[in-house]
Amino acid sequence: MDKNNTDRNLRPEDFEFVQAEKKLYDKKFETKPIGYFRDAMIRFGKNKTNVVATTILFAIIIGTILIPIFSNKNYELQESDLAFLPPRIPLIEQLGFLDGTSDKEGLPVDPSTIDPETGLGIPLGYYPEAIEMDTLENYEEECVDRNVLCKNGFNVLSVDAAATSVTIQSANFLQLDKNQNAFIRIVVEEFENADGAELNVWIKPEFAGDYELIGTIDEAGTFDFDPFELFPDLLFPIVSQIRLELTASSPQERVHLTSIEAYDDTQTDPIFKDSGFVLSQYQIIDGAGLYVRAKGEITMANFTYNDYTAKLGPTERLLPRSEYDAIIAENPQCVASPHPDTDNYPDGWVFPEGCPIMEVYSQTEPVIVGDVAYFSYDLVLNYQLYKGYEEMPYYYFGTDFNGRDLFTLLWVATRTSLLLGLVVAGINVSIGIVYGAVSGYYGGTVDLILQRITEVIGRIPWLVTLAIFVSFFGPGIQTLIFVLIVSGWIGPQSVTRTQFYRYKGREYVLASRTLGAKDGRLIFRHILPNGIGTIITASILTIPYTIFAESTISYLGFGVGHGQEFNIFGITFSGVSVGVLLSDGRNYLLNRPYLTIFPAILISILMITFNMFGNALRDAFNPSLRGSE
Amino acid sequence: MIRTIWIFIIISIILSLNFILLKLAPEFPPVTEEQKGIYYARQVADGYMTLRVVEDPDEVDEIQYKVANNLTLGECPKCYYRPDDPTNPQKYWVYEPVALSTQYFRWVGNVVTEWNWGLSTRVAVNTPVFDVLIGRNADGTFSGSSRIRTTMTLNLIALAFYIPIGFTLGIIAALNKNSWIDNAISFFVMVFISVPSFVVMTMLVMIFGFQLGWFPNQWPANDLGGAIQYTALVIPVLGLSFGAIAGLTRTTRAELTEVLTSEFVLLARTKGLTRRQAVIRHAMRNSMVPLVPGIIFSFVGLLSGSVIIERIYSIPGMGRIYLRAMTQGQYDYNLVLAITAFYTIIGLFAVLLVDLSYGIVDPRIRMGARR
Repeated sequence: MDKNNTDRNLRPEDFEFVQAEKKLYDKKFETKPIGYFRDAMIRFGKNKTNVVATTILFAIIIGTILIPIFSNKNYELQESDLAFLPPRIPLIEQLGFLDGTSDKEGLPVDPSTIDPETGLGIPLGYYPEAIEMDTLENYEEECVDRNVLCKNGFNVLSVDAAATSVTIQSANFLQLDKNQNAFIRIVVEEFENADGAELNVWIKPEFAGDYELIGTIDEAGTFDFDPFELFPDLLFPIVSQIRLELTASSPQERVHLTSIEAYDDTQTDPIFKDSGFVLSQYQIIDGAGLYVRAKGEITMANFTYNDYTAKLGPTERLLPRSEYDAIIAENPQCVASPHPDTDNYPDGWVFPEGCPIMEVYSQTEPVIVGDVAYFSYDLVLNYQLYKGYEEMPYYYFGTDFNGRDLFTLLWVATRTSLLLGLVVAGINVSIGIVYGAVSGYYGGTVDLILQRITEVIGRIPWLVTLAIFVSFFGPGIQTLIFVLIVSGWIGPQSVTRTQFYRYKGREYVLASRTLGAKDGRLIFRHILPNGIGTIITASILTIPYTIFAESTISYLGFGVGHGQEFNIFGITFSGVSVGVLLSDGRNYLLNRPYLTIFPAILISILMITFNMFGNALRDAFNPSLRGSE
Repeated sequence: MIRTIWIFIIISIILSLNFILLKLAPEFPPVTEEQKGIYYARQVADGYMTLRVVEDPDEVDEIQYKVANNLTLGECPKCYYRPDDPTNPQKYWVYEPVALSTQYFRWVGNVVTEWNWGLSTRVAVNTPVFDVLIGRNADGTFSGSSRIRTTMTLNLIALAFYIPIGFTLGIIAALNKNSWIDNAISFFVMVFISVPSFVVMTMLVMIFGFQLGWFPNQWPANDLGGAIQYTALVIPVLGLSFGAIAGLTRTTRAELTEVLTSEFVLLARTKGLTRRQAVIRHAMRNSMVPLVPGIIFSFVGLLSGSVIIERIYSIPGMGRIYLRAMTQGQYDYNLVLAITAFYTIIGLFAVLLVDLSYGIVDPRIRMGARR
């Protein structure tokens, strides 16, 4: 088809006038007019990511207000008996994590707990009820600690580089009876690099006498010494500590001691035996050297531990009478009946289920002061009911080292951070607006001087400001706010100044001035309202900056802290901010990472969404600035 | 030229302000009498205090009474009274501070002529503070643990690490504007600009130091040789870099996208250059103008940010000793003064460098040129 060749044979009659008779009026807009704010809101809503970010931000803000109010858990008192409970979240706990258990690894087993059936033992201080038995496993490990659980092995004695001899002495006394043909046996596992080194054995034949040399060892093996052969005149049994002296010329010459024993005719087993841990407890009493444990064996256990059962299950306690009476008065269902185990607890009694006190074993001897008898009950508490929880509580984010609920505490901390951010940003913006207005409105010399001052203050490193305020006020909220203000007002003032330069030459300002308006009126009634949109949107971005700085300073320990409480304009702040929580968690990075992870995630989300919200707001109000971050 | 002088004026104003305010704050001299003796003798020698010997029995009694009842605190809180015999004094050496203005000029004189920043009072008692910072022993030998060097090394490594990465990411984002790559990079930038560096650092230590155990979870001791010296750098350098990378990427992207839409780039394309040539030869050079100052300032930010990194990772650098000198009730002002002077001077020299760099990067801007 060729467009140019279409039929163009048009006659004049084919045309008619559009408006031969009619008049043309301005047509009404068919769409509604859009105001500045509405336009901004439309632009704001177009960026879906920012809408999501803003929603999250407002959800966090609402959360900080509501969650501390509706929380039924303690986030203020110190309850160290509930410290370090791991996170436990409903539903998610079924997936096998965040279920209130923690994996314990490499804990030394207490031999007395070893179950004869399974041969497995558990470490001291852990409740067997709370251990998930199918996860319990024991294994042997080499140990070199002077620990009572570290068995067998030998002890290595060597001299210091500068010394030629070192002497160790037993803690216990040997008792050797001449009539029973008693003798001492020393087992030396190895004589390392021995080159003229000797191990001398000393005992004190007479109780009040001096130590006498009874033998010398210079190679590995088992050696028997009979002191009565050396001292035939002795009448009484020997009661003495034993001393071993190593004489050597270099630290490389080491003797490995396995055991020191004593035997006599009364029994086939040794009457005295020091080996392993007991042998390692010998003290160096003379000379200089090193006495260390080597190749010991220790049984370790790995298991999954339910901290909730352990800490909120039945707990044996001594409870003062007053507290006992209070519990009984509060709980009418607590009706005592005699203890079924009459053999062990003849004076005891039990309570039915649902009572915070489960059973009472006995009561202590009363102390009578005046007319009042003071005594305590030895009893078993249902700790969960005792703490006021009908069911096993869910600490979503666990508890901190003071036993406070981290979940609630985190929201309280975020509230503090947010409020501080708002208050400080408010102060900064107020100062900045006044300063920037004066600087921008008057211009010229005033502006020059004010801007030089700004430059000096703006160039002070925050470490300097911090040092000055800390030395005057000490760490705390005052220092924190001052430090944040000193550097914080510079940004708002420069934005304000720019806006004033932009608007002060406009015709309407000139018109107002010719009508006789004063400077104050021009600044606050004419120029400021025009620039305020830009100033406010720019100022919103100072809030996340302030939160950022606040948490950093608090993290370093110069800001708010636990136990502080303060009041600004009638708003009470707790002394906990996210920076403080992270600072607390720093000491437990290895074993309790949840103390760090949850606050870190929350502050990250808060900062990210706040920044996105601020940027989105600025883009919406000043489309020309879009993209220049 | 005027600019250079102005920067020196700012440095001196900040340092003077710092000195005067710290001198006004309550003092924390060394604790033991022996250390105090040395410290105050040095204060007199440096001209900050005067020494007066009191031998008049009445006056001695009066001083003894005042010292015993802590009345001196109200009268002259910064004075020091040293008896010849603590139990039965016959004679007192009274150390009194001179007027603050005199102290100030003495201090300026000491620093300028002798590089004498005073003695440390609490951290390393009676050691010249500058020796504490550079790790010089009393006999003039170096212990090899210079705090300035530790901090500077760490920060320079971080600088060398983050500049190429930041540039590259920024350029990639700008060239692929509004693609998924750009969105991914922008998301990364948003996250790392927002998240405080101590959070990033704590997470790095927790994940790579403790849970995975790939790198040491704190700075190894100085005398520990071998590979650990180098692997220990990974976490702090990453902790320092993330924020800086994000910042640099964002500015590079913003500048480059702006320049890429300018007409001279279009002209370069129309005269036959490839896109690559146009970007590298024409667009990049022009986008450098605001970037160089950005990098210099970010280095200053890095340096003061390393206070937190050093604390988390126990790095024996400037930031760590600054925090030690700021322990509550144990303030070591001379040390604080020297450290803050270090940060101030570096910060303002960076400003100077920025001013000078404008002229080099963009020949149209000349220092002191008239309009």
